[in-house]
Amino acid sequence: MSDEPKKYMNPYLAGVLLGLVLLASFLILGAGLGASSGLARIGAFAEGCIFPGHVRASEYFGKWAENPLGYYLVFMLAGTFLGGLVSALLAGRIKVGVERGAAFSARNRLLLALVGGVIVGFASRLAQGCTSGQALTGSALLLSGSLVFLICVFAGGYAAAWFVRRQWHD
Amino acid sequence: MIETLYGSGRLEAPAAFLLALLLGGGFGFALERAGFGSSRRLAGIFYFRDMAVLKVMFTAVVTAMLGLSYLQALGWIGPDQVYLMPSIYGAQIVGGLVFGAGFVMGGWCPGTAAVGAASGKLDALVFLGGAVLGGVLFNELFTAVAPLYAWGDSGVSMAFAALGMSRAGFAFLFVLVAVGCFWGAEIVERRVSGTGEFLGSRFLKAFSLILVVLAAGLFIFPSGRGAAAAAAPPAASAPGEAELLRGVEAAADHVEPEDLADRMMRGEEGLLVVDVRPAAEYAGFRLRGAVNVPIAELAAFLEPRRNQGTVVLYSNGMVHPAQARDSLARAGHANVFILTDGLEGFAERCLKPASLRPGAVTPAEAARINAWRAYFSKPDAPPARPARVEAPRAELPGMVSAGWLAANLGRAGLKAVDLREQKDYNGGHIPDSLSLHPESLRGNVGGLPSMLLPAGMLAEHFSLMGIEPADTVVFAFSGDKLRDATLAGMACERLGHARWAVLDGGWEAWLAGRHPTDALLPAARRSKYPAPAAADRFTVDYRTVLAELGPGTVIIDVRPADFYSGKKRDEARGGHIPGAVNRDFALDLAPKGSAGSLMPTEELAAAYAALIPSKDSPVIVHCRTGHQASQTFFVLKHVLGYRSVRWYDAGWTEWAARAELPVE
Repeated sequence: MSDEPKKYMNPYLAGVLLGLVLLASFLILGAGLGASSGLARIGAFAEGCIFPGHVRASEYFGKWAENPLGYYLVFMLAGTFLGGLVSALLAGRIKVGVERGAAFSARNRLLLALVGGVIVGFASRLAQGCTSGQALTGSALLLSGSLVFLICVFAGGYAAAWFVRRQWHD
Repeated sequence: MIETLYGSGRLEAPAAFLLALLLGGGFGFALERAGFGSSRRLAGIFYFRDMAVLKVMFTAVVTAMLGLSYLQALGWIGPDQVYLMPSIYGAQIVGGLVFGAGFVMGGWCPGTAAVGAASGKLDALVFLGGAVLGGVLFNELFTAVAPLYAWGDSGVSMAFAALGMSRAGFAFLFVLVAVGCFWGAEIVERRVSGTGEFLGSRFLKAFSLILVVLAAGLFIFPSGRGAAAAAAPPAASAPGEAELLRGVEAAADHVEPEDLADRMMRGEEGLLVVDVRPAAEYAGFRLRGAVNVPIAELAAFLEPRRNQGTVVLYSNGMVHPAQARDSLARAGHANVFILTDGLEGFAERCLKPASLRPGAVTPAEAARINAWRAYFSKPDAPPARPARVEAPRAELPGMVSAGWLAANLGRAGLKAVDLREQKDYNGGHIPDSLSLHPESLRGNVGGLPSMLLPAGMLAEHFSLMGIEPADTVVFAFSGDKLRDATLAGMACERLGHARWAVLDGGWEAWLAGRHPTDALLPAARRSKYPAPAAADRFTVDYRTVLAELGPGTVIIDVRPADFYSGKKRDEARGGHIPGAVNRDFALDLAPKGSAGSLMPTEELAAAYAALIPSKDSPVIVHCRTGHQASQTFFVLKHVLGYRSVRWYDAGWTEWAARAELPVE
């Protein structure tokens, strides 16, 4: 891996590739791509390991309590990780570290990543999907709510961008 | 025609997991190729430095949208084959805004973070952990956010339909916007970062042209086909449909699955659901609380329930139950219905998870579906007893051997009831058997002592013991008290409980067979035994007896001969009802030594053939309190097959006391 990492793929062609994977998912599974559901299922599993009774009795996780990990989107999430790993290995892009601006501390960057993660995890349950399951999949299906979600993600992102801009300052 | 896993209901099968893993691999690969393993690149769009997110996402959306539109327009894939998420505007607007803020803070979204973690980014790993926590947080706060979660639920809404456009028209506009965004993104990149390498390039021109031409191509298909996906499949059940169905139920011969599911869950009184499939299929899966009766035995089984309550027949499909229903209807059963679309329809319409349904599933409907799934996924007996009680060799009601009982003990749907004295029961009994004093089924009714209690009280009694209508109930007794079992059997008869049996030979036969015993109390859970609405058809009072005196009806006085003759008497008047014949109930019992059994059937048949002209002759049996006569009733009706046997429960107690009634 001492070679210079490869240049990223032409974004339009990468988009076509991604679109074809999504189309394949429509044709094979009859459902699009998704990532946040898998994370929520892992959350239900982990919480169920610690408080099994509580999770079984809870209104939202309760319906998965039998076997939270026995769901196709959990496997899709694992596949996403593996697919990313293969691609990154081939491109020589694996580099352990915290990605941040040079002028921003790693600790603060990790803190923002954690808080951002919690917010995203919560919001994707509220909206029943994330950038994959709603914005990408739902928009390709021309679903009204998914397109609205997509627009709102960018609106929310641009509104908050200024406040966290320093994490990318070099 | 492409059939998807979702379309064929196999999205929860293990094969789907493997395919999802592979598709996820493609997803992760494509994301990484695009450079989405870097949060700096992802966040770039929010600072107008790197617009790759917009280019990749919009291209992917347009590619999949065009591909699916073409395949649907060509008829290669049906509109019902792809799961369409409902639009819940409030939740999606708030969720989207919050998500965007989290996205820009964390620098990742869930899918890209998985790829980032695979690329060694520790911030991606932390982000994923946060997202898992966020899901847990959502679960913990669900009660509070539930209104927001369902706010603005509009069901499945296609954007073009919502805007009053054709699918092709909207797709074309969508592609034009996408191409405009691509060019805009290149311009922004050039201005902000000096990049925008594709601005004005031949590649981007060609790419834009291809997309626009492909989108325009959709116009050549008739709009009906292209727009087929707009017609969202109907929701599982519109509100008020159940009420509507209840209204038409009296006239229709179908019961809709949603309606039946609700009624079964409510424990509707008088509702009997009959599974007419082979026993093996029934053992594999059944609707909770359903009874298994082969079609050939339906008529006999339903006879006691003729026009009492509601009977619903089901099989996998509809053909066999429909034929059976028609046959029963011709035989005068007006209360038999069939389940629309059978078990398959039930599975599809009630048991299919809300998450896998096409069309709008409102939270209220989802809650209803979840309630059905929870109720019907539970077995109707503890899971440790998977096998259903097998059918005894004899028809029920009838006698079962101790060996049969031992072989079926512990199976679902079997209830043994021990009628011996409580101290004997306490000392040791058939494992899991319920102790019952037979006299607790009788009481004073309108001044008449020792009358079998009304159906409502018997139903309550059975409920307290946890007996369900579908159970096979076996009555055990001691010594020559076979009449205890038949008296308890009369309670079953009154309730229309068809599956009851007398333990042949009683407790002594159980012991002789060296079958297990214990002194534990069974775990009985209260049930909801339905009480039949109408009175039973076999109990008569003195008026009926008086009216039928004389030739025609055979009245059998089953008391010992000395009481019949009047030589002995406990009552004000001795003797018997004019015209009654005497047949001591004890004569039907096998001689001592084999106590607890009946005489051989041939001997019984010969004895009664001498008293009763034919199997259809009207017969009324009585004794002093109804207890001994219950045994003769059992012998005549269930052992010998006499078809018109009635029971004068009040018996000599009442007849003797009513001075106006004639005595011989």
